[in-house]
Amino acid sequence: MILINITFGLVVGFLFGYILTRTGITKYPRVMGMLLLQDFKILKFMLTAITSSMIIFYALGDLGLITLTMKNLDWGKPVGGLIFGMGMAILGYCPGTIAARIGEGKTESILAVFGTALGIFIYALLIKPIKALLLSSEINGNMSILFGINHWFIVIPIALVFLIIIYLVNRKFHDD
Amino acid sequence: MQLNKSQEWHWFKGGILVSLLSVATYFIFSAIAQRNYPFGITAGFGYIAATLGNLLGGMNENPVIKRFGEKPDAFIELFILIGLVIGGYAASKISKTFFPELLPAMWEKYHGPSIIKRYLFVLFGSIALGFGAALSAGCTTGNILQGWALLSLGSLVAGICFFVAGIATAKFLYPNVGGKHDTH
Repeated sequence: MILINITFGLVVGFLFGYILTRTGITKYPRVMGMLLLQDFKILKFMLTAITSSMIIFYALGDLGLITLTMKNLDWGKPVGGLIFGMGMAILGYCPGTIAARIGEGKTESILAVFGTALGIFIYALLIKPIKALLLSSEINGNMSILFGINHWFIVIPIALVFLIIIYLVNRKFHDD
Repeated sequence: MQLNKSQEWHWFKGGILVSLLSVATYFIFSAIAQRNYPFGITAGFGYIAATLGNLLGGMNENPVIKRFGEKPDAFIELFILIGLVIGGYAASKISKTFFPELLPAMWEKYHGPSIIKRYLFVLFGSIALGFGAALSAGCTTGNILQGWALLSLGSLVAGICFFVAGIATAKFLYPNVGGKHDTH
């Protein structure tokens, strides 16, 4: 059993890291270029991936092949999101790319591994006040239940919006 | 810094491949770990944090340490992390983009060659990254790649906040980066 876990983890990580690096998503100037709104390759890459997987997820869900679980909304999401975003800009990459960048020979990423783990450790130390302050109440994260409409009425408009953004951005910035 | 574009995959190819990997992983994850939950990279780092907590002792009852130390979930994600390193190595070797680098050239151009300065920023930035990922229950992979695709309300809010804070901080760090060519 443990061998299956290790093999599965290694294969998924390898493929993920391979695609990220091969597509050039892990490069510091690309990540900063996205946040400075000057290089849109990562945005186009992300929106393509989200649109495609969203449609597959919901189709497989309708067929009963997978159960979709949504993350609820609590105060941790916006507060943690803002802290994460600040960290991402200071560092120049996100957790997944930290690991891939070690493989590319970028020394500073090794320090970033320990920093990220340390950040989670600090979170663990502060969990009691954080829970009381930010995580005490939550809203159901499933929007089709929340709004009482069929999920395709959300999936299709969002997919269209993403495709239009990809089209418009790509027309203006040809960073392929 | 010059990016040789011919070495890179097109964003569309990369995006489609990542979406297939993302769905397949979610599917297999639920079979192996018996959980229907977005996968992410944060839990791999969480496993390291949990190991640290268990080494120090006295944190056995801490719910965060408990959750991230749990096998097999976090264990799989620790190996995803190791796989990412190997994948990044293989891809950079094959595309001949592997080169050791102490600090990014773009950083050096605007903030000087001081290793200590850059590494202090790296340490601070990564602590914020880890803390924020734990608090918002996911990183770019869990909250945007998977969370947005699943249309989780929590992930939508977290992801928008990633960008708001990221854009503001980037503008603060690089106020004078002008044309597009500066980042290339």
